[in-house]
Amino acid sequence: MQARINWAFAEVCDRATSVDELHVAFMREVRELGFTYAACASHVDPLRPPADAVMMVDYPLPWLQRFSDQNYAKRDPVYWRARRQTLPFQWSDRVFRAGLAADQIRILNEAAEAGLTDGITIPIHAPDALPASCSLVIGPEGVDPLNAQKATWYGVYAHECARRLRLAGLPTKPVLSPRERECVQLLGQGKDDGDMAVILGLSEHTVHNIVRRAMHKYGVASRVQAFVRALKDGQIRLEDVC
Amino acid sequence: MIHIITAENRRHYHHALMEMHRQRKEVFIDQMKWRLEESAGIEIDAYDCPEAIYLVEAAAPRAPVTGSARLLQTDRPHLLADHFRFLCDHEPPTGLDVWEATRFCPAPDTGQGQPRHDLLARIIAGIMETALIFGIERVTFVANAALTPLAAKAGWDAQPLGPARRVGCDRLTAFVAAIDQQGLKRVRQTNGIKTPVTRFLGGDLTQAA
Repeated sequence: MQARINWAFAEVCDRATSVDELHVAFMREVRELGFTYAACASHVDPLRPPADAVMMVDYPLPWLQRFSDQNYAKRDPVYWRARRQTLPFQWSDRVFRAGLAADQIRILNEAAEAGLTDGITIPIHAPDALPASCSLVIGPEGVDPLNAQKATWYGVYAHECARRLRLAGLPTKPVLSPRERECVQLLGQGKDDGDMAVILGLSEHTVHNIVRRAMHKYGVASRVQAFVRALKDGQIRLEDVC
Repeated sequence: MIHIITAENRRHYHHALMEMHRQRKEVFIDQMKWRLEESAGIEIDAYDCPEAIYLVEAAAPRAPVTGSARLLQTDRPHLLADHFRFLCDHEPPTGLDVWEATRFCPAPDTGQGQPRHDLLARIIAGIMETALIFGIERVTFVANAALTPLAAKAGWDAQPLGPARRVGCDRLTAFVAAIDQQGLKRVRQTNGIKTPVTRFLGGDLTQAA
């Protein structure tokens, strides 16, 4: 597929100095490909996104308002499916609709009424990022299948560039030392200071201090929080603890 | 009727093309278990490009698609040269007056037996009509064990390019068919096709239809 990659778009993304600039370039490109609306975004409340969220959303405002008011980010079937697979999917696909609950079908129907009738969603699983996806809405004139394929790549690339720009503006995340990581991982496996001391061949007092240091780095008050933050950061992988 | 879709008029056929790629996914990937690329529920490969010519059978540009095929120019990358060279005893025919027909895809709900044979005959007639419009003299294709006898007795002059070879649990044969008025006449007579099967619309005419 190399030949289909639009390197000019990649260059525009790489050169962008703000997410707004990237957003404009991305929307121009996807409209050119024939899509009517697009949302390349983290799976969060679109009107109240956290600081590290990627938000390149060009959806009808009344729909965004409803999505936010009803807290649909928690139940949106498109988000739900995107978190469970890596391949792009189309909303009109029978397989996608088959496994949905009644309230999720209702969300799709309401979206259709708002002008978001059919679309393609590209799941995005980036390290160290909030769950995200890129949804491209197909208008009544349809979209060229070759462009649908091209857009998949655009969505992933634009999201990656936006994420980098977002992270650059945020305070750097704490990095745990190897010992701290080891202890927090053991915490996640349900070990207490006594267990950890035996496993690591250290004193209980030392282990206790190491855990305190990790909690301090994250600015959290409990051991569970320290473990969850390390997991979210990707410093510990889920498969390391279960 | 079979719509001839080219780079120039494909913008009027987004729905038909999307449906064709969706059917190709259902037929080749889900049913026949070919290992092909899929994305967003459609099968689309490196040979699908604006330069490819698609034959899509549908009553109207937005009516349900009942079958399709793809024609590739052989002076560009194409399947026979890239993947099925081993089916040919000699260098496969290529050039500006040779096309390759691939991805013959009956709609998934096409009945077995006669309906499928009739569709193949119409697609073959469509390939010949299209080739005659564009001045193409030969068309190459690869047929599996099921398609080989049907393609051979359709009425066109199709010659094998080499012996049938076992690939997986099927047998494949490469063919080259000569395209001329006489051949088209024979295909129509053999298959009871009384009128031209293709429609080639450009620009605004499509919207009028």
